[in-house]
Amino acid sequence: MGDLLLGIEALQFLKEEGFSVLESRIAKEEEEAVRIAKEIGFPITLKISSKRVLHKTEIGGVRTGIIDEGGVRKNFNDLLEQLFISIGKECVEGIIVQESGKGFELTVGIYEDSQFGKVIMFGQGGIYVEALADVTFRLLPIKRKDAKSMIEELSISKALFSPRQNYANLKSVEDFLIKVSDLTMRRPEIKELDLNPVFLAENMKICDARIKLGK
Amino acid sequence: MFQAKLKRLFTPRSIAVIGASETFEKLGYHVMKSLIKGNYRGSIYPVNPNLKTVWGIKSYSSVLDIDGPIDLAIIVVPARTVPELLDQCGKKGVNGAVLITAGYREIEQDEGRILEEEIRRISKRYEIPIIGPNTFGFVNLTDKINASFTFEFSLIKEGGLTLVSQSGGFCHLIGFLAIEERMGMAKLMSLGNRVNVDFPEAIRYFLEEDEATKVVALYIEGIDEPRRLFETIEKARKKKPIIAYKAGRNEKGDAESRFHTGSLAGNYRIWKGAFRQWGIVEVMDSLELIDTAKVIDTCPPMMGNRIAVLSGQAGPGIIAADALEKEGLKLSVFSGNTQKKIDELLPPLAIRTNPVDMGPAWYSPQTILNILKVVSEDEGTDGILFINMFASANLKLLSEMDRILKEIEPFKKPVIACLCAPAGIWDEEIKDIDGKNGIAVIRTPERAAKAMANLYKVYRMSE
Repeated sequence: MGDLLLGIEALQFLKEEGFSVLESRIAKEEEEAVRIAKEIGFPITLKISSKRVLHKTEIGGVRTGIIDEGGVRKNFNDLLEQLFISIGKECVEGIIVQESGKGFELTVGIYEDSQFGKVIMFGQGGIYVEALADVTFRLLPIKRKDAKSMIEELSISKALFSPRQNYANLKSVEDFLIKVSDLTMRRPEIKELDLNPVFLAENMKICDARIKLGK
Repeated sequence: MFQAKLKRLFTPRSIAVIGASETFEKLGYHVMKSLIKGNYRGSIYPVNPNLKTVWGIKSYSSVLDIDGPIDLAIIVVPARTVPELLDQCGKKGVNGAVLITAGYREIEQDEGRILEEEIRRISKRYEIPIIGPNTFGFVNLTDKINASFTFEFSLIKEGGLTLVSQSGGFCHLIGFLAIEERMGMAKLMSLGNRVNVDFPEAIRYFLEEDEATKVVALYIEGIDEPRRLFETIEKARKKKPIIAYKAGRNEKGDAESRFHTGSLAGNYRIWKGAFRQWGIVEVMDSLELIDTAKVIDTCPPMMGNRIAVLSGQAGPGIIAADALEKEGLKLSVFSGNTQKKIDELLPPLAIRTNPVDMGPAWYSPQTILNILKVVSEDEGTDGILFINMFASANLKLLSEMDRILKEIEPFKKPVIACLCAPAGIWDEEIKDIDGKNGIAVIRTPERAAKAMANLYKVYRMSE
């Protein structure tokens, strides 16, 4: 088995590969969290950071829309307390202070199918990915025409590119999909990639990621 | 070398039938019947050590006793006896084989798997391409070669569709539907257990070598190396439209990867994406396959999604408009010039804008064809859906239309005709019109709309 990159580590990896990610830093103390929040600028999101937790929302480990210092202090302590109870003090690495995401929530994934080899998935993101199943697949690598048709196929594209959503940038989504495809071809050690959610506003910004590396 | 042998296999000048029989209950009887009644023009050599003649033709006790070269051996004998007989084929220098016999890796006993391995080894030693085992065979309608155990495939009209199927039963379903729907076919085959002829090998032949094949349909259950199939399609020297029918859509992915994204990937979703990626039109049912193949084979390309509906009866015209919209097509808006010409041809007794109510032209086949011509030349229209239901009073409509069609130029845009009548009425007329001047006849407006949408997809994906 290879390494699994989660949270901050995964975002850092992607940032170094040239992707836009939401600004995120880890805080171990309340004062540190307040300082980072002020530096990033409100509103912010607080998230738990732990190798033991794959689905943060399911255990109540994500607090969004925090608008002031008081909110940071209260939510920081609440999260820690809740975590100590649910997974134990030694498993908590800290709390992630993150810039708030704006726009549509999308998801992009890479994984290896036993017959088809590496495939890319693109779809509507967030916590309802499975329920909505508004996703589409292609074999890697993909070309621009594939990126275009993937976007076209999703139900959410009707909302994404309606005249009312003048900020949703079709080209930036295409570029993003091709960039993920290129990254996976260039770095074969990436066995799986799960970007969810990726926020689409002026461009695509990754909010959370998991990366499985192998030989 | 292998591809050249495959070409010879599909167009053999001589065929040995190993296991040829005169007993109705044996498949060897039916293979002989298919070749003979199907008007095969090459030499037939029955092989059966127990008979002097089969179907009135001299029988041989072994393939080794035959003097001339054998391009194809059709083998219909019990599974256990096949290895020895196949080895004899190799020694004789037989070019290729159709192995109808079943009882190999598809059965539960180990014996089947072991026998299949042996066949694989023999075929490799002599480099013999083998269709099967566990297949009904193949039918080459272009050259009148029915190398199957079902003679009735020879009743299919000759045309441009080739079906490469993973199931013999599906070939029977599509073959008989093709007869009913007057769909012309070039070849149909079942790959069976695919000992050395799999989708890529067969597809390459039909795309690159076979001139008669204009559109290829694939019936896929599941294959081991799907990427090889798509790479073959990508590399093919000639591009022809490909239709796919994928079975096993509900099967959950093997979920080898339990990672978050993996849980979403039923294998079928990947197939679906891959079809789109390589410009293959996926169909969801058997009739859609036939209808789609028919419009591709019959009509000129449809270069846009704007459709004119010309209907002899208002109701079916409205249904057609709904169906077109559901399939992502839309009603065209006629140019001023086109509308003016229609207004001159039709009295103001019904709606003359799209969908046009052609009711007032009921008794005038000439007027109907004039309107079809005017609309086919309209620059805002990419395809035409013409609808006419039978009524006692318009009995002679189609025969008159057919007579005029013989004298005019084919339409430059696709014309799909929905013509419906009780059995026994218009049968011949519909048969005559179907395929003439770029017109494809499809029974219902809903089916026609789907086929037109697929025709447009073929154009878009070929761009």
